[in-house]
Amino acid sequence: MNVKGTVAIWYRDMLVLKRSIWSEMIAVIATPLTFYLAFGVGMRRYIGLVDGISYSLFIAPGLITMTAVLAAYNESVWSLWFHRRVQFTIESYRVTPVTVSEIVIAKIFSGFSHGLIKGLMVAITIFIITPFKFEPLNLLLYILFLIPGSAIFTCIGVIGGTMLDKPETIGRVEAVFIMPLIFMSGLFFPLSSYPANVIPIISWLPTTALFEGSRQALVHGNFIFPFVLNLYITAIILFTAAVLTFRRRLTE
Amino acid sequence: MNYAIKTEAISKQYGTLKALNSLDLTVERGSIFGLLGPNGAGKTTLIRILTTLMNPTSGKAFIEGLDVTTQGREVRKLIGVVSQENSLDRYLTARENLELPARLHSMEKRVYKQRIDELLELMELSDRQKDFPDTFSGGMQRRLVVARALVNNPKILFLDEPTTGLDPQTRRALWKYVRSLTGDMTIFLTTHYLEEAEQLCNQIAIIDHGRLIALGSSEELKTELAGEAVYDIELGRDVNVFAEKLEQMESVCQVKINDNLLSIKLKEWNAISETLDILKGAEIKKISLRERSLEDVYIALTGKEVRG
Repeated sequence: MNVKGTVAIWYRDMLVLKRSIWSEMIAVIATPLTFYLAFGVGMRRYIGLVDGISYSLFIAPGLITMTAVLAAYNESVWSLWFHRRVQFTIESYRVTPVTVSEIVIAKIFSGFSHGLIKGLMVAITIFIITPFKFEPLNLLLYILFLIPGSAIFTCIGVIGGTMLDKPETIGRVEAVFIMPLIFMSGLFFPLSSYPANVIPIISWLPTTALFEGSRQALVHGNFIFPFVLNLYITAIILFTAAVLTFRRRLTE
Repeated sequence: MNYAIKTEAISKQYGTLKALNSLDLTVERGSIFGLLGPNGAGKTTLIRILTTLMNPTSGKAFIEGLDVTTQGREVRKLIGVVSQENSLDRYLTARENLELPARLHSMEKRVYKQRIDELLELMELSDRQKDFPDTFSGGMQRRLVVARALVNNPKILFLDEPTTGLDPQTRRALWKYVRSLTGDMTIFLTTHYLEEAEQLCNQIAIIDHGRLIALGSSEELKTELAGEAVYDIELGRDVNVFAEKLEQMESVCQVKINDNLLSIKLKEWNAISETLDILKGAEIKKISLRERSLEDVYIALTGKEVRG
């Protein structure tokens, strides 16, 4: 494997991110902050306590996670689509000694890095504007969830950006598949709100493992091992699927 | 081994469509090789196979003796590619657009820094190296694409319709740069512009429907088809009388009269001496051979007009 080639593509993506970091930061923070202010602050009095904590604290970990995974997904899906269909830069990489697998691994790392950096930005903002204080151990446990979460959404983005040729289809996939998966996985309401017979099914979803698991880790310091295992296994499967999909599509 | 590129019965099939049909081609080292053909003839498919972007359905292709299918990474170390599309990275500066492929080729920083300086100088882009390609003219962008393909000092440079969409002046300027590269480097060029092939290439192949239909230098190709030659002969008098005599000759295909000018199409160009015998006693003011262009050859072989 040509690690230098993979690093060069990742470095290029980070250089571009660095150039636009301030304008991106505003856009990245605006959405979760709006959700936080509208639901966490605006509706706090009407909702009261959820699972024994204030509603604003209940949704804060999920908003950080949502920002990270959406940033990872969006970076991957749009970057892959743009570089493949519009700018043809993927093709210019492919006539150098790097292999298709090395290119896609670089793109997965780029999406993942975007997710972590942007998630961190929102986390810092939320920590600054709220009175919440989290234990350092809780933060470490939370990162154990954020890493596979970002990787999963990066890989989904890579598969989408490789398979989908039209931008409107990418938008539709996000509206019909990605957003419902995020919103229905315990971001804004506890899993106990679901009918009892649905809960076992919902609990198996990687997005549930991500949002519920990361909240338990950050707020309560609970490390739910089945959730972590679910996330890492899903990340490995999707990583393999992303590499194979990209390789197959590009050598067609 | 004196060849840079060799294909052996290479074929590529998309469903029922045969884009390449058992194509055999050899490109000598150090030559500028032009590949001509109408749209859909298989030019880009062949370049994509030779540059390892695509696998052939059958047959083999070699770059400097390396198999493009099984030794892709080694092949890509030896080549530079200028694709049809403007694949510059608009989020990187001109210099960064050259640094990225250098890093992908695992070049040392000290080496690629100097190489990039040289290339920017050669392409007259040194003063714009910190600017983004979106602010460049079409010609400057193309020059930057060529510079990018040269970063790794390739042994073989593939140019896939490099001047399409450029104005004639910019096109000629780019030819100048391409000519300046000749030496050890082999250049494989596809183009729609026959003038471009004629000006730049010392070997030209014409393909159609994925098959090779002619190969040789521009002069050789013209000579091969020079069987039919057209002479314009201006006479002082008796044009109709001599026209009638000429029409009866076996070696004359066609005679046209335009005032005092006779245009005679001969089956063989060297039948002119026989023709001049018939014209003895005529008051000949001027004789000229209408030169065949590469375009005549192209149309004769493919039956298609050149589309720019």
